Amino acid sequence: MTAPRSRHLAIAVLALAVLGVLGVVRQSRRASQVPTVDEALASPAAAQTSGARFDRVIVLGIDGVDHGLLQAWMDEGLLPNFRRLAGMGDFRPLRTSMPPQSPVAWSNFITGMDSGGHGIFDFIHRDPRTLLPFSSMSEVKPPAATIKVLGVKLPSHINLPGSDYLLPLASGTTENLRQGKPFWQTLGEHGVPTVIHRAPVNFPPVEARQGRALSGMGTPDMQGTLGTYAFYTDNPPPGYESFSGGKIFPVDVYHGKVQARLYGPPNDFKDYDRIQRRTGVKVAYQERKASMPFTVYVDDENPVAKVVIDGKEVLVEEGAFSPWVEVDFHLLPMPGIIRWAWHDLIGVTGMVRFYLKSTHPDFGLYVTPVQISPMHPALPISSPEGYAAELAETIGPFYTQGLPEDTKALDRDIFNNDDFMKQAGLVVDDEKRMAQYELERFRNGFLFLYYSVIDQIGHAMWRTMRGEETHPAHHPGVDDPYVNVYVDIYQELDAMVGRALEHVDDRTCLIVMSDHGFSSWRRAFDLNRWLLDHGYLALKPGVAPTSVSYLQGVDWNNTRLYGIGINGLYVNQLGRERYGIVPPGPQKSELLREVAAKLAAVVDPVTGQRPILKVFLNEEIYSGPLAEKGPDAQIGYNRGYRASDECAVGEVTDAVLSDNTRRWSGDHCQDYREVPGVILANIPIRKPDPALTDLAPSILTLFGVPVPEVMKGTPVF
Amino acid sequence: MFGGGHKVKVSDELYERIVKYAKLAGYSSVDEFVLHALEKQLAQLEEAQSDEDIKEKLKGLGYLG
Repeated sequence: MTAPRSRHLAIAVLALAVLGVLGVVRQSRRASQVPTVDEALASPAAAQTSGARFDRVIVLGIDGVDHGLLQAWMDEGLLPNFRRLAGMGDFRPLRTSMPPQSPVAWSNFITGMDSGGHGIFDFIHRDPRTLLPFSSMSEVKPPAATIKVLGVKLPSHINLPGSDYLLPLASGTTENLRQGKPFWQTLGEHGVPTVIHRAPVNFPPVEARQGRALSGMGTPDMQGTLGTYAFYTDNPPPGYESFSGGKIFPVDVYHGKVQARLYGPPNDFKDYDRIQRRTGVKVAYQERKASMPFTVYVDDENPVAKVVIDGKEVLVEEGAFSPWVEVDFHLLPMPGIIRWAWHDLIGVTGMVRFYLKSTHPDFGLYVTPVQISPMHPALPISSPEGYAAELAETIGPFYTQGLPEDTKALDRDIFNNDDFMKQAGLVVDDEKRMAQYELERFRNGFLFLYYSVIDQIGHAMWRTMRGEETHPAHHPGVDDPYVNVYVDIYQELDAMVGRALEHVDDRTCLIVMSDHGFSSWRRAFDLNRWLLDHGYLALKPGVAPTSVSYLQGVDWNNTRLYGIGINGLYVNQLGRERYGIVPPGPQKSELLREVAAKLAAVVDPVTGQRPILKVFLNEEIYSGPLAEKGPDAQIGYNRGYRASDECAVGEVTDAVLSDNTRRWSGDHCQDYREVPGVILANIPIRKPDPALTDLAPSILTLFGVPVPEVMKGTPVF
Repeated sequence: MFGGGHKVKVSDELYERIVKYAKLAGYSSVDEFVLHALEKQLAQLEEAQSDEDIKEKLKGLGYLG
């Protein structure tokens, strides 16, 4: 993907001296004016601004903590540290975003604005010109076709004569698609040092004066995806070719030996057009990635194997994860010495862990998505750039992918419950080590620590909870032993709250909050099927509904509404959508009112419940210059219901309502009133109905920093 | 060189090759050949973008099965 893109090879040689000197001058000038992060964090007076109530504010951002569950388990005495914190100050439900999806909710938290201000409306957005969906959080773009150097236009690649290789001269870009200024940048401008750990929708992390940041949710793996595992087996499951979120590689075990390849980032050094012209064969998508051969030696007698990759040997026991292994993907074939000297230019480093699922009778080896290595990051995962490496040196390597819990492997039976819980445990371990390290050296300013595990285990293991025995995805016997995993993980987090409480004194404010709550997800609603059945969406002649993929096959000349994203409903608007037919204005408003009323009246014949409580029109819930970029309406699903997976990416199934039999059995992409998050603090909360958008103004005010006018929220303390 | 008022500059050498292959392939004009070639290339790119790249990027999202 990009280490080579992140360097400017030829121009670097020319400009090195000039830029280097300028850089040194700039650095030294800065150094004389601004204290380093370490100096700022260590200085007792550094964080104080006039009107500051506290020297230190710590926020533990725990994704997915549900108000109802937390209250119940606190009442049962299962969560003593949460209870203690609530007793010191307050505990309230926290109004979430609509839709209550993590990227939207955390963007509300980060900017103090709603989606109309920060521009994140769903995990999935669509481009009205192409009508194709894309990930809303970040984008990794290849280099442009041409670059300008000192005003002269040059091609961005040089062909290496007589070979199938190109030499890129320009860098690609990584772009955080969230708009709006994070409140910690404002803190930095007022002299408050900040440490931001794994905040969602912060990739690449924004720079803040006297700030350190490590990116979180939205950070891709080395393949540029949100996480693609690999599984090597001699007994591939049926239909494995179409598995999503992972690649299954059939292999042979021959005389105890398996030979395979590990795939990494797309290789932009190869001239695929030339290869295609030369061979007459189109290069397959998978083969456009850089890869690394590896060999597995399977022990004849014991459940153990040795993996040999990139000159390293790793022993793996059945049912156990290996340590992290760095792998250097070479993008250009070069002699060893040049490869070594030029690694940063012609190679990229990734990092994986191996999990030996089984050796006999079937061989199965799981490999994590190839992570951006924190020791040698190919993409900007931290700010300053060296912070990720500094962390890794101190606490050891860690997952860098945005949401590392591998729910996709669990969904496809590559992991069973036990495998998944082991892997999620590795993430908890990362979170603990990071928290401990930062809490112990935190003296002043603002510290944010993010925890993903309650959210991810909630999604994946909800079906195992007490009371979920009738969930369509519940399998008695298999799931029963895991009945307590969810409360157990709440207790793990309770212990982390306890560790944070050890660092609280009268000059410290501790806030524990979540972005949304949780609910069961038992029934899936296919909005596009409903729109098709009710004449709002049409298909081209001869197109079967189930063959529609990514909205391809839709007859746009006769389609007024379509669904894409988990909650989004869009009008096929004239002048905005590529083939729009509905004029903006009264006709559009009337259409939306009509469909909103009909959708809210739908009754599920199986349960007798209404799958949709309310359809929220864009203008009801968003304000700000970016509101018009969002869906025209957001579907507020009832508890127990959510959009079908297919509908979210613009597909159509054969039924409006169906059972959710996936292991991804809990969810929160519902009516925001049904799934509030939580806020606890060691000081009283004065605002009766605190919301996520209130937190940024609240934290600024705790430091005596003026609240920017663009923020919609108001202080809660 | 194209309808719609948009012009594209190509080198003499490339233009000569375009003329040669347009004739060889039986196109009625250079414009027809160039438009067809561009449409074909764009369709390929759009297909690759939609089918593989986009799917792969989105499907890692646990929310989607």
